[in-house]
Amino acid sequence: MNRPIKILTLLLALAAALALVACGGSDDEESTVSGQFELVADAPSGYEGLTGEAELDRTESGTEATIQLTGLMPDAEYVAHVHAASCDQPDPGGPHYKFDPNGSDEPPNEIHFMFTSSADGEGEAEASNDQRIPDGDAGSIVVHSAEEEGEAMKNGEAMEHGGGEHSHSHSDKIACAELEGGTAPEEAATDEGEAMKHEGDPMEHGDDAMKHEGGGTTIVVRNGDPVGGVQELEYSAGDQVEFTVRSDVADEIHVHGYDLMKDVEAGGSASFSFPADLEGIFEVELEESGTQIAELRVNP
Amino acid sequence: MSWLPLAHALAARQDLPIPAWLFAWGASIVLIVSFFALSVGWREPRFEGDRWRPLGAGLSRALLGLPMQVLCGAIGVFLLGLAVYAGLRGTEAPDRNFALTFVFVTCWLGFPLFSVLLGDVFRPFNPWRAIGRLVGRGFAALAGQQPSHLRYPQRLGRWPAAIGLVAVVWLEVVYGVSGGVSVGLSPHAAAVAALVYSAYTLTMMGLFGTEQWCRNGEVFSVYFGMFSQLGCFAVEDGRLGRRRPLAAATHWASVPGSAAVVIASIATTSFDGASEGAFLGALEWTFERFTDADLGLTLALRLTDTIFIGLCVAGVALVYLIGVWGMSTVSGAPPLRKLWNGFAHTLIPIAFAYLVAHYFSLFVFQEQAQFTYLLSDPLGTGSTDLFGTASSGIDFQLLSANAIWYVQVAALVVGHVVALTLAHDRATAYWGDYRQAARSQYWMLAVMVAFTCFGLYLLSVANA
Repeated sequence: MNRPIKILTLLLALAAALALVACGGSDDEESTVSGQFELVADAPSGYEGLTGEAELDRTESGTEATIQLTGLMPDAEYVAHVHAASCDQPDPGGPHYKFDPNGSDEPPNEIHFMFTSSADGEGEAEASNDQRIPDGDAGSIVVHSAEEEGEAMKNGEAMEHGGGEHSHSHSDKIACAELEGGTAPEEAATDEGEAMKHEGDPMEHGDDAMKHEGGGTTIVVRNGDPVGGVQELEYSAGDQVEFTVRSDVADEIHVHGYDLMKDVEAGGSASFSFPADLEGIFEVELEESGTQIAELRVNP
Repeated sequence: MSWLPLAHALAARQDLPIPAWLFAWGASIVLIVSFFALSVGWREPRFEGDRWRPLGAGLSRALLGLPMQVLCGAIGVFLLGLAVYAGLRGTEAPDRNFALTFVFVTCWLGFPLFSVLLGDVFRPFNPWRAIGRLVGRGFAALAGQQPSHLRYPQRLGRWPAAIGLVAVVWLEVVYGVSGGVSVGLSPHAAAVAALVYSAYTLTMMGLFGTEQWCRNGEVFSVYFGMFSQLGCFAVEDGRLGRRRPLAAATHWASVPGSAAVVIASIATTSFDGASEGAFLGALEWTFERFTDADLGLTLALRLTDTIFIGLCVAGVALVYLIGVWGMSTVSGAPPLRKLWNGFAHTLIPIAFAYLVAHYFSLFVFQEQAQFTYLLSDPLGTGSTDLFGTASSGIDFQLLSANAIWYVQVAALVVGHVVALTLAHDRATAYWGDYRQAARSQYWMLAVMVAFTCFGLYLLSVANA
């Protein structure tokens, strides 16, 4: 092979390599964020087995969001909204997300869901909007009961945070799914006053779909199977792994690899707390029945 | 409903997917190395001549003498017996039973590794060969003549081994299904399969002769023997000798069916890796079509997996065929069939790289189990503690996720380079004219880059 061809091939190689690296790193036009629903601190009773997932897709034509829940009351009406802030605000989720901060508090300036649960307590809803929520601004999705909304608004609790019609009280909210976390927009923050000034860096939880603080995740086992399928627990090496298993069957919970075992009684619960010092993907299973209930992922 | 690859049934841990940046770097290095290789290639074949040189006669006598042959054979037969016994009588928990780890990790993954490093180490330990030879000797002593055998049809070549190879992996990753979930093969099923395979192998050895069947049809001999071609030690005429690494591989594929063996190896490893990520959506979609058609869960899952193993074999064969066809269009090319067989050996390093990339961590972790509790308590019933290690565990801190990633990517890149080297060498031998040889290698380069990048891709989406 003569010299020009040699140089040509090398250039080709470099171009191809650069193209590959570029492809690996570039952001796609379309993106998806998702999160698991977790009960809010003051959730009404009766929702202990609630699990679910929220997903928000940014498409070229706007925003599409879906929520799916199990463990709701049978045949009950619920509403949900995309909120502007993180689930770990004192008022989970903060105010509703508004495309135009000074605009209306009705769709299409906000994203609302309404749905009725099925007889076995499952519910799902979809909502779409022609506008795209800017990256990082979709804080969370909060579900609350449509039936209790009116009452909750009357009892004065809702006024505690100085919010308007659409700021729900703690007791009104049932569950919150963290999407991108973050703070509430300026406008809302001033509206909300003190309640919005929470401690810590709000972005700290921004990228995590799952929250690990405050006792960690709860995995609910119903009829011997994990509600909502095999749960994902994701940590970085060195973190403290914390989760609780609540089960309606008696079994032994085995965290493979770490080789930790705890008995759980029927209707009881078992909590785990240990440092994530082994990297890899590990199974958490009900040892006797052999059912996998969670996947523990420890990233380096 | 979930797909659990081999690793899952045995090991408590699975690998994290390689991060995107490492994938990009790995693939970039592969491309750069490949183009560089084209521009600096040598003009004379360097591996074609076999330069085997004997080592000291004393060493050969000690390692290859009759006492050693008997000892190694006896060890092989004993371990096979132990695995079958543990499988039949031991616990049904796959990870606590000696049988599965011994067969599918220690042997299935260990022999390729040691074969590459040392040469054909399986041959002396091959339990079926030991039994076959013993029976043959006994017959000769009693009857006063050598047993006569059927002539092995040479056109069949290594095809029986290629089919057997797919069957072994099929048993390992497809058959072990219960209630619609891949739970991995049960120890009992593995033991029964080993007995069936033993009966089949001994029958074939009786028909065609022990050595003849080991060369062509015995799955493990052919499979491990393939990897031993890369190594630098070999036995010839009863003497141990050294040879140039990789050189022996140039003759390996002269037997029909050899290409099928190496394609089956790459394809089955690909399937196992892809079912952890790349194929997951497609597998689930197909599975749902079958369950919609009212097939039972177990049947639907087995059928789905079987189809995808078949697709993997067809896909790998097709990629290789395209490369071979491309080479045949370069002027001065030998006929297509000669090219198909003539370049098959260049895929051996890729097959080995795939094995290392997919099973390296499983091997390191599971061998700790093999040499501690599985050895002390082979049945897994808690009743024995032969070496006092029955209560030991696996140290999962031995390898960090980063270390595993680097080994995986390095294996693929090194395998790629070795494969390119062998292909380039073969091309210079076939074409004679250096320029045409280089031109033909654009095609093989494309094949190698496809396999290596596909391997990297599988790692990047596994368990993602």
